[in-house]
Amino acid sequence: MIRKTIVIVNTLGMHARPATMIVKAATKYRSDFRLIKGDTEINGKSIMGVMTLAAEFGSELELVADGVDEEFLINEISELFASKFGEE
Amino acid sequence: MKALNVKDFFQDKKKDLLLTLVTNPETLKNNIINPFLNRPGLALSGYYERFTYDRIQVLGETEVNYLQTLKDDKLYDRMKEIFSYQIPCFIVTKGLSLPAQVIYLANELEIAILVSRLSTNKLYYELGKYLDDFFAPSKTVHGTLVDIFGVGILVTGKSGIGKSECALDLIDRGQRLVTDDAVKIIVRDDVLMGSSTNDYGHFMEVRGVGLIDVEKLFGIHAVRVQKRIDIQVELMPWKDNMDYERIGLGDNSVEILGIKIPIIYLPVSPGKNVSVVIEVIAMNHILKTYGYDAAKVFTQKLQQDLQEKAKIRNNLIKDKE
Repeated sequence: MIRKTIVIVNTLGMHARPATMIVKAATKYRSDFRLIKGDTEINGKSIMGVMTLAAEFGSELELVADGVDEEFLINEISELFASKFGEE
Repeated sequence: MKALNVKDFFQDKKKDLLLTLVTNPETLKNNIINPFLNRPGLALSGYYERFTYDRIQVLGETEVNYLQTLKDDKLYDRMKEIFSYQIPCFIVTKGLSLPAQVIYLANELEIAILVSRLSTNKLYYELGKYLDDFFAPSKTVHGTLVDIFGVGILVTGKSGIGKSECALDLIDRGQRLVTDDAVKIIVRDDVLMGSSTNDYGHFMEVRGVGLIDVEKLFGIHAVRVQKRIDIQVELMPWKDNMDYERIGLGDNSVEILGIKIPIIYLPVSPGKNVSVVIEVIAMNHILKTYGYDAAKVFTQKLQQDLQEKAKIRNNLIKDKE
């Protein structure tokens, strides 16, 4: 299992488009994927879950991946967050 | 180029347009190749420039009256001139009768004259509709057309994916079948209109059972003859890496005969109730037509929430106290 903490760096926060990008990226992998914000933990492969986290600009998220390809999953998702989802 | 044989046209519309043939049956051999009608007033008076002779020529009260005023020899010359063009046929309205000479000439030169008891206006309207449909761009699509709460849904997908079974389930839930397996689509007033390719009734094949008659089994309310096609739903086997629509903000569309309609790619896998999903697609379409888009409303709420939270966070950081 891998855990990684990231900060939302795109000013619009995790709205519908980024949420879709995360879910689409995550569902390519076999590992389980969870997102934790404060005391809310959701399944990172569920679009409603990711959107209802309502992770705004500057907030902290913990990414948790568990499975055979967990490293690749975390890497791709972290890159997505760092690239600001192609915004700005 | 499509062509409608005058004989077929006469057989087909004899009753609807109250038509009778006043020339010999041999005159029915021409083809109609143009969906428009023409009133040959100017041609009758001797002006043949831009005479649209390849259309059905409609003779109303004015034209017939005019012909009756012509002297015999003049009438003969004029009509001979007109009949020398490749005219598909003439239709006289209001049940009026033409001078015997005209009919004699038409027989000689083998151009059919039909007499309709309808008024010119009514004939124009009815015949125009019929010809428009006949000459409209059309194609046949492999699929099933159902009317769901008034929304026409064309269900497509590979053979054996379950289109017919899905249609049966929808019929059982009170929806209406237009046609199964092959859908004939024509463009009418910029709208796609779907119907069956035959007029045998509403038969369909159910794998393992054979042919069934939906109208006999479920009743007249379970079927309809034609329906506007609003959405295409493509059933496809579930694939892991397929990019399915997740939120509904995308606008996938497909072009059929030059008309764009939305298309939904629906993954099918055991345990998924496709009929309910198709009903939801129809209801969601109705909501969207009335101006409510669930995907837009939700994402707007989310965006507002994100903005407000970001503002509060920003204020807390700036506050040096």
